[in-house]
Amino acid sequence: MSKANGAGAGTISYSLFFFAFLFGPLIIMVVTAFNSSSFPRITPWECFTTDWFGVLVGNSRLMGGLGTSVIIGIGVVALAVPIGLAGALALSELSPRLRATLYTVLITPILIPGVVLGISTIVFWGLVGRAFGEDYASAFYNGLFLTLIGQVTFISAYAMLIFSARLQRFDPTLTEAALDLGATPGQCFRKILLPFLKPAIGSAAFLTLLASFENYNTTVFTILSDSTFTTALASKVRLGTDPSLSALAVIIIGLTLMGAMVHEAHTRRQSLLRSGKPKISPLYANPVTRVMTHPAGLAVILIGIAAALIYGGSQHDSSVCQANILAEKRAVQEQLLKEQRERIRKQREDATPTAPANGGATNNPSPFGGAFKPGGLSPNKETAPANPSPFGGAFKPGGLAPKPEAAPAPAPANPSPFGGAFKPNALKPDSN
Amino acid sequence: MTAIRNAFNGFVGRHGMGAAIFIGAAVFFWVIFLIVLPQLAMLDYSFRHNLPRADVGGPQDVYTIANYSYFLLGNDSTLQTTDLAVLGKTMLAAVFVTLIDIALCYPIAFILAHSATGVATRLMVIGLIVPFWVNEILRAFAFRVLFGATGVINGFGQSMGLWDVPIDFIRADVALYSGLTYAYILLMVFPIYNAVEALDRNQIEAARDMGASWWRVHWRVVLPVAKPGIASGATMVFMLTAGALAAPQILGGPSSLWFTQLIYQWFNQSANWQRGSAYAVILLVVCIGFVMLLMRVFKVNIGAIGR
Repeated sequence: MSKANGAGAGTISYSLFFFAFLFGPLIIMVVTAFNSSSFPRITPWECFTTDWFGVLVGNSRLMGGLGTSVIIGIGVVALAVPIGLAGALALSELSPRLRATLYTVLITPILIPGVVLGISTIVFWGLVGRAFGEDYASAFYNGLFLTLIGQVTFISAYAMLIFSARLQRFDPTLTEAALDLGATPGQCFRKILLPFLKPAIGSAAFLTLLASFENYNTTVFTILSDSTFTTALASKVRLGTDPSLSALAVIIIGLTLMGAMVHEAHTRRQSLLRSGKPKISPLYANPVTRVMTHPAGLAVILIGIAAALIYGGSQHDSSVCQANILAEKRAVQEQLLKEQRERIRKQREDATPTAPANGGATNNPSPFGGAFKPGGLSPNKETAPANPSPFGGAFKPGGLAPKPEAAPAPAPANPSPFGGAFKPNALKPDSN
Repeated sequence: MTAIRNAFNGFVGRHGMGAAIFIGAAVFFWVIFLIVLPQLAMLDYSFRHNLPRADVGGPQDVYTIANYSYFLLGNDSTLQTTDLAVLGKTMLAAVFVTLIDIALCYPIAFILAHSATGVATRLMVIGLIVPFWVNEILRAFAFRVLFGATGVINGFGQSMGLWDVPIDFIRADVALYSGLTYAYILLMVFPIYNAVEALDRNQIEAARDMGASWWRVHWRVVLPVAKPGIASGATMVFMLTAGALAAPQILGGPSSLWFTQLIYQWFNQSANWQRGSAYAVILLVVCIGFVMLLMRVFKVNIGAIGR
C-alpha cells in the first residue's frame, strides 16, 4: 500500500487484470485482421493474409465519409476552440454566484445525451430556416452545417474544461506587473495570457478534432442523408461484419501508438532540457541515440518502419494457402455428404417414419441437426427450390452466418454439433 | 443584467475591448443559439402534430399532447407498457453499468494515485488513454468479435470442450453490458483519480498504524475523499450509457431495445420527428431527474462534475 514498500501482489494482479480487460478486445481484433476467414475470428486460423486492408481501402462509402469527416473536423476545431477559450475565460473571472450558474449551463451539453443534442439541433435550425423562408436546398437543411453546429455545442465544453484546468495555474500577478509597466489590457491578453495558454490550445485542438471524428450519437441525426466516416462505419458494422473493420482498427491503433511514442519522446526531451541534464546524459553524448530520442527522429524512424510493413504486407500473397484451405473444406464436405447419404440410405431401409417428418423441427435428433435439413433429408422437398446444394442453406455464403447476431437467424438455436463448424465461410472462398 | 454588465466591464478592464467583445459574443452565441434555444425548439416541436409541410403554420398546426400520451397509452388509449418497459430497462441497465464501472475503476484509480511509482504511473496513464483513441464503433465491434456466435470466446470454449453449443452472448446482453462498461471506463477513472490523489498519504498510514483493516481504511478514510470524484464519474457514465446509441445498435440482441433506439426509429424509420422529439424530451427529463435525485441523496454538488 505504500510507495516505499512497493506494490503488493494484489495490486499488481488487479492492475494486470484491468489492463487485460482494456487491451484484450483490441488485441484480438487486431489479430483477426490477418486471418483470411471471412468472419473476424481467431479460431480456426486459416491463412495469414493482408487482403483485408485492400478491401478496406476499396470501400468507397467509408473513404467518402473520411473526406466529409475531415471537413467537419476542421470546422469544429476552428469554432470549438475559440468558443471553449471564451467560456473558460468567462468562468475564471465572474463572480462566484454567476460562475456557478454559467458553469452548470455550459457543462450540460456534455451530460445531455448526444441523441437529444442532435435532434434539438436539426429541429431548431429547421425552424430558423422556415422563418427565413428557405427551402431544403439551403444551409439550414445541409447535413454538413448541422453536424458542425451540433458537434460544436458539446465539443466546446471539452475545450473549455482543458482551458479551465490550464487557467487555474495562471499567475495573475504577471498581468498586474505588465499593467503597472504600462502595457494596455489588450497587450496583456495577447502577449501574456495567450502564450501561457498555447499548450492548452494545442491539446484542445487535438481533442476536439478527435471528438468530432469519433462522434456518432449526434452526427447520425444531424448528418441527414450524408455520411461521415463514423456513421458509414456504424452502418457497415450493423449490416454485417468482416475483417476489413479489424484492418481499420489496426491502422488506427498503429497511428495511436506512433503518436503516443512521439509525444512521450517529446515530453521526456522537454523535461531533460528543462532540468539541464542533456549535457551529462549519455543519450546525448552518442549522436545515434541522440537522433533516435529526438521526437522528429523517432517519428521518421516509426514512419519508415510503418512504410516497410505496408510494403511487405502488400507483397504478401496468401492465395495458395487459401486455395488449400478451400480444397480441404471441400474434401471434408464430400466426406460428410457421403456419410449423410449412407445414413439416409440406412434410415430409409429401416423405414423409420420420423426421419422425413422432422424436416422442419428445430429439435432435430439427427447428429447433423438442422445443417442438412432442406436438401439432405428430403432432396425433393419444396422448401428449398432455389437451393440445389444438398447442404441446404447452411453453406450458402451469408445464409446462416456472416452476421448471426444481426438477424435472429436459426444459428444460435442450432443444436447440431456441426452447427457452428461450417457456418460463415465453408463454401465461400475469400473472393478478393 | 447588471451583474452581466459588471462582468463585461471587468473583462474590458482586464483584457481590453477586443478580447471582451470576443468573450461576450462567443459565450452568448454558445449559450443562446447552441444550448438554450435548440432545447426549447425541441420542447415546442414535441407538442405539435406530424403534419405535411404545406400544413405547417396552418389552422391544423396546434399544440397537442398526443406524442406524450402515445408513450403511455399507445394508439388505443389503453395503458401500453412496451415503451415504458424499454425506458425502465434502459435506466436499470445504465445504473448497472455505472455500478460495475465504479467497482472496476475505484481500485485502479487508487493504485494509480497511491501505489504506482514513476515509470509505472506514466505507462498506466498512457495505457488508460490509448484504447480510447480507437473509434467508439470499432470498440463495440471488438466486443462483437469476442462474443459473436462464432466469436473468440465461443470458439475457445468449444475447442476446450467447456460447452458444445455456441452460447448466445449477444441475446443475453452480456456483450452489450461489457461493451458499455468498457466504453466509458476512462470517464470514471480520471475523476476518481483526481479526487483520491488529493488525499494525504499520512492519513492512510495513520489509520493503518491505529490498527484499521484495509477495507476500513478505504471505507472511512479514502472513500469520503473519493466521493465527489465517484459522483462526477458516475453522473457522466450514467448519462452517456443511458444516451448511448452505437453500442446498443451494434451489440444489442434482436429482441432488446435501448430507449435511444426507439427515438432513432421514430426519426429515421417512421419519419415522425415530433414524436421522436417527445421521446427525446422524456429521455432527457428522466435522466436529469434521476441524476438530480441521486445527487440530493448523496449530497453532491453539480459543480463537482467535469473536474
